[in-house]
Amino acid sequence: MKDKLEALLVQATADLALADSEDAVQELRVRYLGKKGELTAVMKGIGALSPEERPLIGQVVNTVRDQLEECLSAALATVRSRSKALRLQSERLDVTMPGRLRPMGTKHPVTLVTEEIADIFAGLGFQVAEGPEIELDYYNFEALNFPKDHPARDMQDTFFVDDNVLLRTHTSPVQIRTMLKHAPPVRIIAPGTVYRCDSDATHSPMFHQVEGLMVDKGITFGDLKGILTIFVTQLFGSGTGVRLRPSFFPFTEPSAEVDIACVICKGKGCRVCKNTGWLEILGAGMVDPEVFRHVQYDPASISGFAFGMGIERIAMLKYGIGDMRLLFENDLRFLRQF
Amino acid sequence: MIVTYNWLKEFVDFDLPPSKLADLLTMLGLEVEGVTPCGEGMDDVVVALVEERAQHPNADKLSLCRVNNGKEVLSIVCGAQNFKAGDKVALAQIGATLPGDFKIKRSKIRGEESCGMLCSEKELGLADESAGIMILPADLPLGLPVFAALGLKDTIFEIGLTPNRADCLSVIGIAREIAAKLGTKISHPAFTLTDNGPSINDKASVVIEDPQLCPRYTARYIEGCRIAPSPRWLVNRLNAVGMRSINNVVDVTNYVLLEYGHPLHAFDFNLLAGGKIIVKRAGEGEKFTTLDGQERTLTANDLTIRDASRGVALAGIMGGENSEIKDNTTNILLESAYFNPTAIRLTSKRLGLHTESSHRFERGADIAVLARVLDRAAALIAELAGGTIAQGLIDVHPSPVLPRTITAHLDRINRTLGITLTADQVITIFHNLEFAVTQTEPGIMAVTVPLFRVDLEREIDLIEEVARLHGFENIPATMPKARVFSDRPPRSQRMERDVRSLLVAQGFNEVINFSFIAPDAYERLLLPPDDPRRSAVKLLNPLVAEQSVMRTTLLPSLLETAAANISHRELNLRLFELRRVYHPRPGEELPAEPLHIAAIMTGRREPEGWCQGSDMVDFYDAKGIAETLLSSLQMPPMEYSKEAPEPFYHPGKCCTILSGGRPVGTLGEIHPDVQENFSLSQPVYYLELDFNRLLSHVHERGSVQAPSRYPDVARDIAMLLAEETPATRVLECIHGLRLKELDNVTIFDLYKGEHVPAGQKSLAIRVRYRSPERTLTDDEVTRSHQRVIDALTAKLNITVR
Repeated sequence: MKDKLEALLVQATADLALADSEDAVQELRVRYLGKKGELTAVMKGIGALSPEERPLIGQVVNTVRDQLEECLSAALATVRSRSKALRLQSERLDVTMPGRLRPMGTKHPVTLVTEEIADIFAGLGFQVAEGPEIELDYYNFEALNFPKDHPARDMQDTFFVDDNVLLRTHTSPVQIRTMLKHAPPVRIIAPGTVYRCDSDATHSPMFHQVEGLMVDKGITFGDLKGILTIFVTQLFGSGTGVRLRPSFFPFTEPSAEVDIACVICKGKGCRVCKNTGWLEILGAGMVDPEVFRHVQYDPASISGFAFGMGIERIAMLKYGIGDMRLLFENDLRFLRQF
Repeated sequence: MIVTYNWLKEFVDFDLPPSKLADLLTMLGLEVEGVTPCGEGMDDVVVALVEERAQHPNADKLSLCRVNNGKEVLSIVCGAQNFKAGDKVALAQIGATLPGDFKIKRSKIRGEESCGMLCSEKELGLADESAGIMILPADLPLGLPVFAALGLKDTIFEIGLTPNRADCLSVIGIAREIAAKLGTKISHPAFTLTDNGPSINDKASVVIEDPQLCPRYTARYIEGCRIAPSPRWLVNRLNAVGMRSINNVVDVTNYVLLEYGHPLHAFDFNLLAGGKIIVKRAGEGEKFTTLDGQERTLTANDLTIRDASRGVALAGIMGGENSEIKDNTTNILLESAYFNPTAIRLTSKRLGLHTESSHRFERGADIAVLARVLDRAAALIAELAGGTIAQGLIDVHPSPVLPRTITAHLDRINRTLGITLTADQVITIFHNLEFAVTQTEPGIMAVTVPLFRVDLEREIDLIEEVARLHGFENIPATMPKARVFSDRPPRSQRMERDVRSLLVAQGFNEVINFSFIAPDAYERLLLPPDDPRRSAVKLLNPLVAEQSVMRTTLLPSLLETAAANISHRELNLRLFELRRVYHPRPGEELPAEPLHIAAIMTGRREPEGWCQGSDMVDFYDAKGIAETLLSSLQMPPMEYSKEAPEPFYHPGKCCTILSGGRPVGTLGEIHPDVQENFSLSQPVYYLELDFNRLLSHVHERGSVQAPSRYPDVARDIAMLLAEETPATRVLECIHGLRLKELDNVTIFDLYKGEHVPAGQKSLAIRVRYRSPERTLTDDEVTRSHQRVIDALTAKLNITVR
């Protein structure tokens, strides 16, 4: 009987070695360990053994069963890992096929630049203020010290709605509206849409500006230089050269144009900067006392600076856009690149 | 304003190369926009002598010349006819490059060798037209570069002047700025005036009838002039700054205008009736022909110069055809006057007549310089055109203007600029600017400003002068010593960013269209005649009619943008715009400018691709976008109503979005007629929301609930119900039961057609039950579910399938 059991184990081991699938192994389990299996069949002979032999054989049976179990488990593990390996080997994708796309959209470049500028000034404590685009002559010109019939008005070609109402030509009226509403200190930027009757590769009848205004006790022209230098460095990268040079705006004095070292040629001189090495990016100056008079601020006790810049101009420089009209054609092939 | 390097050097001594001079001017506020070298690289064009001119053996129209360049005698073929042996000419030698990148090479012309080219003024870039080659003055030394020999080697500066700097509309004005910066003085043009003719008062008289508009008028009389072409130096100067030479007398007035910045006018005296000048306003409706040949209709606000019988000039703007200098003019009355800036500007603007003269008068001329400029021009005319200057000048100046004195405080200067100059430093700056200064007390200065600086009226103007001359680059950059305060950006600004980010995340590209649209857009949207959106703000002076009314809805622009993109084969579009619209308000001067959100979608739901679906977007895509956007913005649940559909939508596929019963927007499929009106060939879905109204509905996020740890049980109901019953009623009915165990309800199928009776639809919903406290028993779920079915049956008359 013992021989039979050992033969059974040998046979089972041999059979298992040939089993090449999970099903085959399960079949062998049934064949050897099942209720009608071979081990059961052998054990049916136990009853015919002597009482002395029985425990001994019983022990052998247990050992054989344990060994059979072990072999079966091992065989099962082997075939499973083999079939897993086979599956992993056969399942092959072309990973270069494009994925299932749900593309994101894009923000308009004018929005991107506006948000970037607003973020930089938010870090310097400037709030965002707003004002109407369809504006009264008073806020757009008169209160900003552009007298009627003055050549300074020629600087800005204006769309009119009637004698008194126009499309604002700059975001500067927001300065007036803000100061009329709030006592100093004031620290705002005012991004917005502005209009001038002009249309070519570098002028659009509608475009965008960001205005800035800071009014407090003891604000100096040096402070204006300091704030604008930080701004330019943040927007165009540290080490970007900045220069202020004298200019004229009716609502600031002293007035300055602010140039940055040409971002294209790094100041060496190229077509974009007309060989000057400098690019004009904003206008600025100390708030003119006449403007303070219009908003009932006392120029003897406070001072301030203001600045304004064209967003399209900055977007064109940042993204290498040669023609401003591209920004308003809304061609998806253009917009998708942002 | 255009000036040249050499011209500036006549009035101020400086030792700066052109590029450094350009920097100096720019940093003074006189922005140099262009620097053009003149005669640069032209050293191979030299003075040469034609020793022999013979007929070319093989060509009738060519001559074969022997030309001496001072070193050797060259053989040159030339096609011009206007020269002879013995003439000095401009020879472009082999290797020279003429304007237009024209390189001179050794060549054979009809078999004869030509070692260079004899040049015309046109070929050298000195004139627009030339009749033949350039004949040079006989005294020029051979071999010298022509440009240097003629004094034409120069640099031209184009300066963009700001409108406040009237004083710099002249060479002397700009020289004065250079002198101020360098701490030197300018020298005025030297001339000798010999006025030994008859007394001017015996010849001419001047009456100012309107001293308001003409506070000063000076004149000189020159008789016996010969009108002739100007000498070469004068022609060259005018050409260099882009002005055409006309004749010696007119050229002198232009030359002195450029030199001093003061406009002059020369009349043919013989054409002035009575030898009289009367300065007075025109008659209303008076016709007057200016010397450009245009007849103009004047008003009583236009100032004219008149003789005894008629108008002879439009004061300060342009002379009259009836009294202009002609070839046969002999006697001249020369005017140097001052006119009121506003009056000149109004007339010039109304007539659309902008001249060198009006440009200067409307910015403010120098009333003190009149006589000097007059004398300078008279002397130059006498020199170039002969003639005798009548003795004396007429100077009508009823109430002389005195220079202005402004008080400047040293501490204010320093405090405004953030610098620490001493009184002496500031006084030096003022002196360099030709201002007279007296220090009344330490740190307080009385500054008298010359009359040519019309832009300086207040202390702040002087502070700017100090900043300019001290140099902006020498003012240290500092950080403001400011009070600390901060507010968060208001909710509206945060929400604007959120809207953009959310729509971008949904695959929408942001567009920005012009705020002005075509007036017929509302017609094309099928808006009824009484729709308030038709009463839009109109522009008085649009650039084009298609951009003449301010939009009251974003729809037409987006339809056009979609059509434009579709036309270049971008068929799958998701575009959005977050911009203002403009709604006139009765009784208000300015319209309301609410911010609107608009989104448009068309084409495939998913981009084309091997593993992507190929379904087209439909109404429910647009609605899904609205729902996702609104819930992400923390809006309360919205009602989507079929009431009050917009005319531009498909009547069966659109809705109004309401919050608390107030409309906040609409969405739908664009009406096929509107689609056609905008040349769109595929269905388009649109959504427009009023940002400002949404803003008023935002609610703060309430406290959240911890997720239940217990399992859910889902039960489905397939039901038949009346077709017109909105699905939302089913959901409302279930939620209305306020079952504690109800987790959520979803609609997972909608079916109409076969096996569903006409007038009914089949709707399948899944109701999930879950308790936060325990596992629900089967009984509990069944009981709740039965209540749901009962309620639906009772209220909506459903049949469970």
